[in-house]
Amino acid sequence: MDGFVLALWVLRLLFLGLIYVFLFAVARVLVRDLRSAARGPAELGRLVVLASPRGEPAPGVFYPLDAVTTLGRDLTNTVVVDDPFASTEHAVLTFRGRAWYVEDRGSTNGTYVNGVLAAGPTALGFGDQIQIGEVRFRLERGRT
Amino acid sequence: MSALAQARPIARRLPRIRPRTRPVEFGLLAIVTLALLVGGASLGATEQWLRAQAGGEKLGAFGFAPPDPRGLGVYLGALLVVHVAFVLAGRRTDQILLPAVAMLGGIGLLLMQRLPQDLVTQSLGSVELRLGQLQLLWLIISLTVVSLLALLVRSDHWLRAYKYTWAAAGITLLAMTFVFGTDVNGERLTLTIGPVSGQPSELLKVILVVFLAAYLSENRSLLAEESTRIGPLRLPPIPYLAPMVAMWAIALGVVVVQGDLGAALLFFAVFLALLFVATGRLSFVVGGMVLFLVGSFVLYQLFGHVQQRVDNWLDPFRDPLGSGFQTVQALYAFARGGLLGVGLGAGLPTIGGHLPVPAVHTDYPLAALGEELGLMGLLAIFGLYLVIVERGLRIAAAAQDEFRALLAAGLSLVIGIQAFIIAAGNLKLVPLTGITLPFISYGGSSLLANAIAVGLLLALSDRGAVPPPPPRRRRWHGLFRRGTVR
Repeated sequence: MDGFVLALWVLRLLFLGLIYVFLFAVARVLVRDLRSAARGPAELGRLVVLASPRGEPAPGVFYPLDAVTTLGRDLTNTVVVDDPFASTEHAVLTFRGRAWYVEDRGSTNGTYVNGVLAAGPTALGFGDQIQIGEVRFRLERGRT
Repeated sequence: MSALAQARPIARRLPRIRPRTRPVEFGLLAIVTLALLVGGASLGATEQWLRAQAGGEKLGAFGFAPPDPRGLGVYLGALLVVHVAFVLAGRRTDQILLPAVAMLGGIGLLLMQRLPQDLVTQSLGSVELRLGQLQLLWLIISLTVVSLLALLVRSDHWLRAYKYTWAAAGITLLAMTFVFGTDVNGERLTLTIGPVSGQPSELLKVILVVFLAAYLSENRSLLAEESTRIGPLRLPPIPYLAPMVAMWAIALGVVVVQGDLGAALLFFAVFLALLFVATGRLSFVVGGMVLFLVGSFVLYQLFGHVQQRVDNWLDPFRDPLGSGFQTVQALYAFARGGLLGVGLGAGLPTIGGHLPVPAVHTDYPLAALGEELGLMGLLAIFGLYLVIVERGLRIAAAAQDEFRALLAAGLSLVIGIQAFIIAAGNLKLVPLTGITLPFISYGGSSLLANAIAVGLLLALSDRGAVPPPPPRRRRWHGLFRRGTVR
C-alpha cells in the first residue's frame, strides 16, 4: 500500500514536471527563433571567393546573396569582380523558387560552372563552382 | 537534359504538395503525449485508491489505468493524425501552436473525465454521451477545424474583402439569439437551430477581430492622424472612425443587453488592443480606459446582476452560502491546492452529493485545476497561454502586410485576454464574468471559436502562402465611402 501511495506521489509530480519540461522545450525553441529573427532574415545562400589572382575580391571573403545578385567589373554590380578578364556586366545569380540559377549576361569571356562554359541559365546546387574571368566562387548554403 | 530545359519558368507553377518534416512539432507532441499519459495514470490510480479507501478494502494490485483509456487514446491518436496531415501537406506553418493547444486541450479533457460525468449529458440518437465523451467529441471536431483551416486556407481575400458581410452576419447571429434564443441559467446566450445549439458571442469574437483587422489595416494611416478636434481632444477623422465604433458599439450593446458581461469585457479589451497595435497611440488606450470606467459605473447603476457581481467580488463572505457561494468555494479550492496540489482526482470532494463549485466545468475549471495541480500547475497553464500569445505576436511581426499582422495579433490576443479575464475572475482579482477558459472549459462553441482562431493563425504563419493582394485605392467620399476600386 505504501509503495502504491509513493508511486502515486511520484506520478503526480511527474505530471507537473512534464508540463514544465514541455514549457522549457517550447521556451528553448522560442528563444532560438527570436535570436535568429534578431539577426535579420535568413540568407538564401552565400558566395565564397575561392581564388582571385588580383586579390579583389580577396580569397575567403563571402557575400550573402539576395534573390538577384549581379557580378561584373562595373561598380554597380552587387559583387564587383575586379579582373581584366571579367566584363562590366558579366553574370547574374538568381534564386527562383527553390533553386539557384546563374546566367551569363553576354560577357566576352563567358561564365563557367564547375569548369564548363554555361550556355543560357544554368541551375546550380550548393557547392557548385562558378568562374568569372580568373576569379572562382563557390555557392554555399546560407545561414538559416 | 539541356540547360534550357532545366531553366523552365517556374513562376506560374501551382503549389506542389511536397511532404516536409516538422521535427519541432513532433518532439513537442511527444512530450504532450507522455505528460497526458502520466496525468491519466495518476488520475486513474488516485480514483482507484480513493475508492478502495472508501470501501475500506485493501488494494490488491496496483492499477494505473486512466479512467477512460479509450478516450485519451482517441485524443492522442487524433493529435498524431493532425501532425501527419501537416507533414504530408508540407506547408511551412508554425510548429509550436498545435502542441501548446494540444496540451491545454488534454489537461481540459483529463479534468472533464475526472469531474462527475452526469454534469452534462446529451443523447445522440440511441447513444448517451456524458461530460468526458462530449468534451472529447468537441475536441476532435475542433482539431478537425484547426487542421482544415491550416491546410486549406492559402489566401485571405475571403476574409478581408467581405468584412462588412462578416460583421453583418455576426450581428445577425447575435440578434437572433436575443429574439429566438433560449435561457440557460437566467442568461439568454444560447441559440438553437435544429439540432445545433451554441453561444454566438463566442463566434462573434473571432468575427470582430477579422472586421477590426480589415478595417484598421485599410484606414490605419488616416486613424493615426488627428484632424478632428473636440475641445482639447484630438481625434482621427470622424468618417473613418464611425463605422468601426458603430460595429463595436452594436456588438457591445447587444451583449450588454443580453447580460453577457464577460463577452462585453472581452470585446472592449480586444478593441482597445487592436487600436493600439494599429496606431501605436497610447492616448487611445488611456481614453478607452476612461470610457471603460465610466461605462462600468453606468452599468453598475443600471443592472442588478452587475451590482451583485461586484458585491460578490468585494466581499464574498458576506453571503457565503448564497450569492457568494461559488466564489468562496473556489477560494477554498485554491487554498486546498497549495503549492503542488492534492493530485489529479483527489480534489473536490462532494458535499452532500453536490459539487462545491456548481459551474466548475465551464466558468471555474481553474478552481479545480488549482486544487489538484496547485500553484505550480496554474503557473504552467498560464505559461501555455503565454506561449500561444507569443506565437501569435511573432506571426504578426513576420506577416507580409498589415491585415495579416493585425489579424494574427488580434486572434492571439483574444485568446490571451479571455484567459486572463476568466482566470482573474476565478482568483477574485476582478469581478467574475462568465466566460470560458479557452481550450480547457467544457463547451462546444468556445472550443470551436478558439479552434477557428488557432487554425487561422496557423494558416497566417505560412511563409509560402499566397502573397497579399495589392492595397486598395482609397477615395474620400465624405461619410459614405463607396466605389473603392481594386
